[in-house]
Amino acid sequence: MISEIDRYAGLSSPIHRWDPRLRIVSILALIFSVVLLYNLTLVTIGMIFSIILVYLSKIPFSFVLDRLKLVFVLVLPFFLIIPFTTMGTDTGVEIARFYGITLSYRGIEAVGFAAMIVLKALTSVMLIFPMIGTSRMDITIKALEGLHLPNKLVQMFAFTYRYIFVLDDEFVRTERSLASRGFKRRGDLYTLTTVSKAIAMLFVKSYERADRVFYAMRSKGYSGKVVTLHEFDSGRQDWINAIAVFGFAVLLQVAAMSGAFSIYGGI
Amino acid sequence: MVHISDGILDPLLWESGWVITAIILAYTLSKMKIEDVPKLSVITAAVFVASLIHFQFGPTSVHFILNGFAGVTLGLLAYPCIFVALVLQCFLFQHGGVTTIGINTINMGVPALLAYLLFKYGMRFDLGIKQKEILFGTLGGGIAVALAVLFLSIELATTGEEFFEVAIFVATAHIPIIAIEAIFTGITAGFLATVQPELLCRR
Repeated sequence: MISEIDRYAGLSSPIHRWDPRLRIVSILALIFSVVLLYNLTLVTIGMIFSIILVYLSKIPFSFVLDRLKLVFVLVLPFFLIIPFTTMGTDTGVEIARFYGITLSYRGIEAVGFAAMIVLKALTSVMLIFPMIGTSRMDITIKALEGLHLPNKLVQMFAFTYRYIFVLDDEFVRTERSLASRGFKRRGDLYTLTTVSKAIAMLFVKSYERADRVFYAMRSKGYSGKVVTLHEFDSGRQDWINAIAVFGFAVLLQVAAMSGAFSIYGGI
Repeated sequence: MVHISDGILDPLLWESGWVITAIILAYTLSKMKIEDVPKLSVITAAVFVASLIHFQFGPTSVHFILNGFAGVTLGLLAYPCIFVALVLQCFLFQHGGVTTIGINTINMGVPALLAYLLFKYGMRFDLGIKQKEILFGTLGGGIAVALAVLFLSIELATTGEEFFEVAIFVATAHIPIIAIEAIFTGITAGFLATVQPELLCRR
């Protein structure tokens, strides 16, 4: 089952009260700013700031950490491979050699570089929680409309978001009915053929349903505009928050350009 | 697995990724009718859900990418479909990175468009076989994933020498997925051709 990102949208915190439009833009700027950094100290400072934002949003850290596990698994290979492989003229210190694969240590610089990659990936994902996880998804989608994203794209986000859960449910049901007929997933062609046909049938069913739903919505006056009871209103506090987060993003870039905080050559 | 996380690529690479994606997106969205929204959204959601289905195949755990499938069913509109799927995957599921959405869309979307062209022009040939959909579906599905992996490996390799071995590792890990997707796309294309032909793109 897919767990929803907006599970903790009902809490009350300064981040929750922040106008979603300003919140999305400011935090997005911060994500880009952190990823653009090539300086371990500044990336660490950015990460600490992100942890503070998550703390302020009152989203439980256990929820965030659970999602971060996946990112960690994806970037871990980089952390393991980069410091310990030979490249070009820089062969590093050979540690061991087996079956033609040389295991060598390239020194603290390579470890720092790999750590920076992992920290950047984790920070940017962590910032998604205060950014998206603090308001209901329909309000977030309305905010995208408020930010003047192309209407077709906004509609696709809204519909796709709904269908993800429908399809997920349907797939679980299909799997159950396959299992009740004695089907087991194995690594062979038969499994692949059966799963393919089951998924194809899922499409046919969902497509027909999507068409019906869409025409029903049209006949009830749906015009493509996102309509919710929530109206956006950005007051002074919203702008203060935005200036604080956006300003921090700019500050990181200024610090990086001034060359402060560099520990060792280029990193 | 074809998603690149944040902070790995050279900034120039992912910045130009955004520019190219914005251009292709603007063009393909202009070709989109508002009536296309339900069909597009269902397939986008399917691409999203299918990428969460992992199954054991040989020694590795793999999952579908379905960019070739999107190309065969949606044609040009496969590009916005993949873009939306990647954005949602990133924000709802923390798969891939935020800054790399542009380049990831190119990696998966451009091969999807090529799969569409292959399917479209392939279907015009008279080969004397009954279900050409299966043949060209298989080809399209396989080529789309192979190209996506190729793009990814090239990007990793050009970012820095230290990523060269990672690129090779990533490319090898994807070989079974290419075969699986080829068979999957072929079977579904054949199935849809008999059950609901309007789901296949013939424009």
